[in-house]
Amino acid sequence: MMKRFTQTCAVLTVTLTLAHAAAATEQVTFMLDWLPAGDKAAVYLGVDKGLFEAEGIKVTIQSGRGSSDVVTKLATGSADMGTGGLAALLQAKAADAVPVKAVMSIYTLQPDAIFTTKDAGINSLKDLEGKTVATATFSSSNVSWPLLLKTNGVNPDAIKLLKVDPGALAPMLATGKVAATINWLTVAPAFAGPLTEVGKSFKALPWSGYGFDGYGLSVFASEKMLTSRPETVRKFLKAYAKATEMAIADPMAAAQALKAAVPEVSVDTAAEQWRASIPLMVNDISKKDGPGAFAPALLATTWKWVAEAQGLPLEKLNPETAVSRDYLK
Amino acid sequence: MKTGAWATLVRWLDRCAPPLAFVGLLLVWEGGVRIFAVPSFLLPAPSAIVTALLATPLPVWAGHVWATLRVALMGYALAIVVAVPLAVGLATSRFLSRTLYPILVVVQSTPIVAVAPIIVVTLGASDLPRVVITFLITFFPIVVSTVTGLLATPEELIELSRSLRAGRRREILHVRLPFALPHLFSALKISTTLAVIGAVVAEFVAAEKGLGFFIAFSTSYFKIPTAFAGLVVLVSISLILFRLIGFVQKAFAPWSLPKSER
Repeated sequence: MMKRFTQTCAVLTVTLTLAHAAAATEQVTFMLDWLPAGDKAAVYLGVDKGLFEAEGIKVTIQSGRGSSDVVTKLATGSADMGTGGLAALLQAKAADAVPVKAVMSIYTLQPDAIFTTKDAGINSLKDLEGKTVATATFSSSNVSWPLLLKTNGVNPDAIKLLKVDPGALAPMLATGKVAATINWLTVAPAFAGPLTEVGKSFKALPWSGYGFDGYGLSVFASEKMLTSRPETVRKFLKAYAKATEMAIADPMAAAQALKAAVPEVSVDTAAEQWRASIPLMVNDISKKDGPGAFAPALLATTWKWVAEAQGLPLEKLNPETAVSRDYLK
Repeated sequence: MKTGAWATLVRWLDRCAPPLAFVGLLLVWEGGVRIFAVPSFLLPAPSAIVTALLATPLPVWAGHVWATLRVALMGYALAIVVAVPLAVGLATSRFLSRTLYPILVVVQSTPIVAVAPIIVVTLGASDLPRVVITFLITFFPIVVSTVTGLLATPEELIELSRSLRAGRRREILHVRLPFALPHLFSALKISTTLAVIGAVVAEFVAAEKGLGFFIAFSTSYFKIPTAFAGLVVLVSISLILFRLIGFVQKAFAPWSLPKSER
């Protein structure tokens, strides 16, 4: 009798403890804008080092298929938070009032760039005239591309733009089928393999050097998440910012954390990808405004590029409605 | 004697022709890639694919294979569970046939690859959308073949069963369905490969695991030999499932096989 009583008490205690632990841990589904890679390593480092856990958050990482996909998944409730290019959110907000907001900026410089090879003789945007450039079919860069050219006095019709699968970009550049490709700077290390195989050297022309200013990658959250669990968003951003700091200080640790979660990645490539993304996060702008901030002027510039590229009037959207600065406090 | 040796050689060649042709093709591929120095990101040599296959740790393969297989089998099972009763309904009821068949044709004519992203958005990020996509790609051949088999039952057999006062249910279960088995099994074989394709399509759209994800992931890093290794594993899974259905047919319904294969 006594034995059964003791067993019942033990079972009850364990159940209550587990229930308490479950209640104390908040679940957050975090969606990356693309497949796992070195430039996304910070969130993996945060999970690996228990930074989110210390805030009482259990993070489930999912991979999206582009910034627009993340906005859609957040709007439909498939994920709680995620990363994506701010331009994609502004575009979605202008078209339809999607219930998603940007809560923290990650890249204060635009990551878009022209990738070419040293033997192609391309030293500026002007040199692309008469050449063929390949881009990923659904890349957000395609929206701003004609405007970037016009702004720099280049005739967009003089450049043949070829839209292909992202997986075909490096092979096309390596075989010389195209003179250049449009990519994010963070992808550069992955181009090394195909280019080395054919004995070519890599060269990048960042768009930020041609006046393409604005916020790039940012952290998004669904409005449902912001209203129902504001404290969780705050704690998440705190842990994410700390993880980013740690990853910047030790890229190899970040790459290893990514490797622990996604065994297919190469640690060296992942570390290089993370290193390639650091200048987009740590630069004069982020030093001036503070990490994660959305400064009104640069936010307006980001929207101006999107609006002009889309042929929309500036009044179509107040970009301030697409961001919230309340959760970084 | 000479004739006997010749006959043995012909028999041996007949038996070994398929693997020999396969090995020959691999040798031509390997030789062509080496002679013309084709870069691995354009067309990897078979040896580079094998190297990539072995370089990926076994637990990684196991995780991806299990993820794809699980979705493929769930979608496939759901397709059978829905398609066979539906086929019986279509074959036996003119009303159902007239009402449902056009809808099924519309569903089949819809390119699932194009609507897959919408299905994922609607049903959320879990196994469910992947299973639904696999189901949609898989079930139509089963329905069509089963209906064909059920309707191909010779009239004499139907009349005989009716003259013996067999009810509608008995007619379907004991006369029409056994007669439809060869059709059903050939559809089941085709559908195994479609199930794997369905699972991969779904993984291309949204997944964190699975061979479709693995191939997309490897391609995004421009590791083409690794992506090809993923393809090899996928083809192997399709072939194994295809053979498994053959074994099931041989073990449980050998009469439905042609005499030469029993």
